[in-house]
Amino acid sequence: MGDDSRENTLRKQEPDKNKHHDRLTISSDLKLLYLVRQFVVNFMRQIALPADYENRIVLAVDEAVSNIIEHAYESKADGYIDIQITRDKKQISFSITDWGKPFNPNKVKKPDIAKSIKSGTKGGLGIFLMKQIMDEVKYTFKSGQNHLYLVKYLTL
Amino acid sequence: MGDFQINTQKLSEGVTSISIKGFLDAYTYSEFEQTINNLFNQKQYKLVVDMSNVDYISSAGAGVFIGAIGLAQENNGNIIIIRPKPGVKEVFDLLGLSQIFTITNNLESAIKTLTGK
Repeated sequence: MGDDSRENTLRKQEPDKNKHHDRLTISSDLKLLYLVRQFVVNFMRQIALPADYENRIVLAVDEAVSNIIEHAYESKADGYIDIQITRDKKQISFSITDWGKPFNPNKVKKPDIAKSIKSGTKGGLGIFLMKQIMDEVKYTFKSGQNHLYLVKYLTL
Repeated sequence: MGDFQINTQKLSEGVTSISIKGFLDAYTYSEFEQTINNLFNQKQYKLVVDMSNVDYISSAGAGVFIGAIGLAQENNGNIIIIRPKPGVKEVFDLLGLSQIFTITNNLESAIKTLTGK
């Protein structure tokens, strides 16, 4: 029994070569967005993802976090955002949690650029980009937490 | 974080160039927006925005262009974007702005477009 459990523990510790994971927690401060971008870039370079994914995925995560700061935390810097990245064989996923007001990006309307130009307004662009870039955008609000799950399928 | 800088320079025939350096994101965009609003207040509506030193743009930065081009065009002006890096151009493409904005790698042709000469 003792030996078995030791063996299991050892097995669990063996790294899965197809799975990578990293995590960053930041304050809800717009001036820290560059850290989020740096975190995503570093992760993608570590796992040697082709460069053409990089700009788009960094943009999508930046837009997600910017919207959380602006809407869930109403641009106040006293909250926290937790970002976890996981790369599996076929996809890269982002699990983003915050403790701000409920904010469901799936309820934001698609922007009408021509109308925005006429009226000089510009709402909804970031969410539009995030949805255009990512293959899955899932949102839940549970136990006082906004949880956003973004997935990009990898065709390598 | 890299420095964020904006410089404006009056060129000939009522054209003003705006050069931006650094990241144009949800944190820095308001400075760019303020620069454009100041120029509009001075009735400068013919603008060339040099993006050659912009390493990254998000929707907040692109939104400044969307918010400003209408007023520029109503006042016989325009906003021309020059020398964007591929990653920056890609964001304009994703938002469908490449069909709305004139994007060129050449300052002279940008000035010609603005002055009609």
